Amino acid sequence: MSQEVARLEELLARVQRNAALPRSVALPPTAFAAPAPTFAVPPPAPVQAAPPPPAPSEPYFEPPPPPAFTTDALEEHFFDSVPAPALLDQSVDDMLLADPFPSQMPAPPAAQAYTDMLDEDPVPLVRSAAHRLDDAEDISGVMTVSQFSEQVPEELLEDDIVEVSVSVDSVAPAGNELDDDLNFGDDEISEESARTSDEPPASSSRHKVAGTMDEALARAAEQIDFDEGREVPLKTPPPESGPQEAMPLPMGIHAPLAPDIEELLEADILPAGGVYAAVPTTEQVGQTIDLEEARGPHLELDSALSHPAPLHAELPHEELEVTLPRREFGGGYQDDLMPPPEARQELDAHRNRYGDDAPPPESLAQYPSQQPEASPQAFAPVIVPANVSNDPYTQNAPMVTVDAPSNAAFAPELLARPDINPGPVAKFIRVESPRPSTFLQLLDASLDLGRN
Amino acid sequence: MNFDPSYALEFDFGRGQVRMANAGERLVVPSDALLALCQGASEDAVRDFGRRLGTEAGRAMLGRLGEAWQAPLETVVEHLGGELALMGLGSLGLERWGQALVLSFSYSPLGQGGDLLLGSVLEGAMQRAFGRDVVAVKLMREGDQVRFLVAGFDGARKASDWLYQGVPWGDVLTRLTNSRGQS
Repeated sequence: MSQEVARLEELLARVQRNAALPRSVALPPTAFAAPAPTFAVPPPAPVQAAPPPPAPSEPYFEPPPPPAFTTDALEEHFFDSVPAPALLDQSVDDMLLADPFPSQMPAPPAAQAYTDMLDEDPVPLVRSAAHRLDDAEDISGVMTVSQFSEQVPEELLEDDIVEVSVSVDSVAPAGNELDDDLNFGDDEISEESARTSDEPPASSSRHKVAGTMDEALARAAEQIDFDEGREVPLKTPPPESGPQEAMPLPMGIHAPLAPDIEELLEADILPAGGVYAAVPTTEQVGQTIDLEEARGPHLELDSALSHPAPLHAELPHEELEVTLPRREFGGGYQDDLMPPPEARQELDAHRNRYGDDAPPPESLAQYPSQQPEASPQAFAPVIVPANVSNDPYTQNAPMVTVDAPSNAAFAPELLARPDINPGPVAKFIRVESPRPSTFLQLLDASLDLGRN
Repeated sequence: MNFDPSYALEFDFGRGQVRMANAGERLVVPSDALLALCQGASEDAVRDFGRRLGTEAGRAMLGRLGEAWQAPLETVVEHLGGELALMGLGSLGLERWGQALVLSFSYSPLGQGGDLLLGSVLEGAMQRAFGRDVVAVKLMREGDQVRFLVAGFDGARKASDWLYQGVPWGDVLTRLTNSRGQS
């Protein structure tokens, strides 16, 4: 840090010394001359230099025609567009937090023709902080290609980003070579820096961009002094590892007690007004979380499903499907049961066969309106006790004979199987196996088994 | 004549002996020890030991019945079974399958390992009581009951072959009966 301070002071002295020299020095060619070194002032461009023709094969790097530089314009350009102290003015945190891709690009500085660039020796790249920086520009060292041309890309791609990482040491020699050719008279810098060094630092870590060179140098010197006065520990103590014994707390101070989970759950479940409170409590409302809308295709539920139609209307009926009678019809017949079409045809044929005096057909689902009256001389049911013959010949085949009533007009015709004399139907033959009377007989018979 | 086991055993505590009526001294030994001895011995030794036990039982039965060749089936089963029960060998049973004589033991403390010994006991008893050389062929064991076919040498060999071939023991008895009828 001290070397940089010494370098700055030397640079300042040289600038002051060279301020009185004539300013008709030819501008040394610099490739990509827009970014200037951090602490070096680029040499002035030749006055009234004719712009070289642009290279047709490289339209991307086609620079605009350089403006007609004058001494005043050049001086104004270099002194206003090189906020070198801005690098030191801002802290590292501000650099990291700044927007790396500012929406507004800095104005492109004076550039040379592309052909001149190819002919010249390569010049080390410089930091982006050497550009004119506004409040929103980043100085992290990332530059875009669009800064080298007037064509601003529509979108900033990764290919457009060129990281320029050149140390200060590599840039400093180029600046030192140019310092001898410049001499800007500014005797008030030392006084201004001495005055501002005594002021307390601003509370905000982000300072305004210095408007003039003197102010920038003063802020740089102030920042350097501030950094040197800070005590930085030489070695960070190693962190403790493993469990450590907790220090006892002083009297009157204790750790917060663990909340009762049951009480919390009960408080969440039960409303404040009791179980039957219809309105949620404020605690419950306060814990309500608005869920995000589901991602994916939008689905709509059919509202007709909420009012299902009757089951009989939904189910398709097949030809052979018959609905079973419900419980109230168990053991009976359904009242509204209609005869099938075949039965109706037979019924019509029967009606035509017996003439018109037949009673009108009635639905089988209804009780007949004309009940037949029981005639004691016609179809009256006669209960006759059955006579079972006790003939011993027919004992095995009892015959039940029913005497026809005398008053019946149409006696039933009874047919009975003729009597057959009982005889042996099956014959069972039982073979009596000889049982040995003594154990010795059985033993001898068993010993004879399998004898050859 | 029913079997009366009264005073069949005599415990002489002065001498430390156990005697059976009309017989010599006995030993009351654990059954598992006897079974272990039989399993460790050869088959011929076990058969010889069993036949000696059966001979003793047949002799005791003859001493009770007198003429055993006239005894019916029930009497033989009762007395021979009584003598074997006094020995603690189990309960004797008799089954007649046609002309085949099948004797069974139930609740024998020797279990399946003592089947060879029990068969040998029957062979010794038949030989001593009825003067017949028989072969007891183990037909099957079902639980605590084991059945033995009492047959001659020819019949025992055929039955053993059929049983070895996997013929059910019922079919073995049927084949033995048919083979006798054909012959």
